[in-house]
Amino acid sequence: MSYSQLSLKSGFPRATLANGIGRYIGQLQRVTLKFCKNHGASRGIRDFIEYDLINYAKENPGVVVYVKPRRHRGPVIKAEYLNGQTHWICCRKFSREDIIKYMELVRTQSFDGSTLRLRKFWHTEFPSIQGPWTPFTFRDPKLNITEFPNAELGKCIKTEPTATEEIIELFKKQQIEEKSIAQLEE
Amino acid sequence: MSLTRKTQQWGTFARMWHIYDATWQDPYKSAVLISHYLRGIYKPIYHPTNDCGDHVVIINSNEIALRGDEWIRRVYFHHTTYPQGASWTKAWELHKKDPTMIIQKAVYSVLGNNLTRRTTMQRLHVYYDNNIPEKIKENLSNQIKQLRPVPIRLDHISQEQLENFPQIINLPAHYVLH
Repeated sequence: MSYSQLSLKSGFPRATLANGIGRYIGQLQRVTLKFCKNHGASRGIRDFIEYDLINYAKENPGVVVYVKPRRHRGPVIKAEYLNGQTHWICCRKFSREDIIKYMELVRTQSFDGSTLRLRKFWHTEFPSIQGPWTPFTFRDPKLNITEFPNAELGKCIKTEPTATEEIIELFKKQQIEEKSIAQLEE
Repeated sequence: MSLTRKTQQWGTFARMWHIYDATWQDPYKSAVLISHYLRGIYKPIYHPTNDCGDHVVIINSNEIALRGDEWIRRVYFHHTTYPQGASWTKAWELHKKDPTMIIQKAVYSVLGNNLTRRTTMQRLHVYYDNNIPEKIKENLSNQIKQLRPVPIRLDHISQEQLENFPQIINLPAHYVLH
């Protein structure tokens, strides 16, 4: 998820009060379908009311379903949850299938999920089995008894010999060669 | 949160104290290295919004080495905001006034212009010699490796070692060495 909308409330995925472990409490309390009887934009919601609403209300006895016709105004689904929050969905030009999906969404969620920026897409009580990192993991235990500043530890890592060291090396080689030649001559 | 989880959190976000010996080191290249430790970029938990920066103690800032003729070429600009208030201070002049200033300014410029800059700078402690207050010394837990080997001065090499050093050129007997 992007961080472009910093004003969004952020949080972690969680089940409300461990809902569903043991018993389940339906989080949706009331859903109001607002629509116009004439306008084309309310066509889908009218179809839903005609064919699916009775079944929806029968299958979910815990949900109060209100139907509110209003002349020449946009169709809306307004859901009210157990925690007191409301979820307002504009359903302009939605098809019947779309309305079925949104009614299923408000039934199954406990708050408006789109208003929460998820900081992680997962949640766990044990993020790491080997234990989270600390500055002291993977550290040489010898450092615990070292006194700082330590000249030896602070020295830079040398990758190649210096010119001085190379000259000394050449000089030593030369001396060995001279010795071996002198021995051969004897 | 249980006590074990709490202590785990304290451990993960514990601030380390690093020490860096600036003897014969380029302050501008060292500043890049030091800023990594100051912001905690080396940590696996690093995130820009995460307050995980470490303390860095710089010692021997009096002994820094600038490249080439930068001591006379590099200039530090300051303006008092009054007319004719501009002043240009050469690097050697600034170093003479305050031997900790050059490295401090170098780190400050590396940190980048953002809101965390001054807070991060407060975690930097610069000393011109190797005398550190006991309060700070007891916190130290790591030493940052120097970037360059420290050269040995000729008058610090023993006479015996000098005499045994291979002679590259056979100088004539009447040659005068200055």
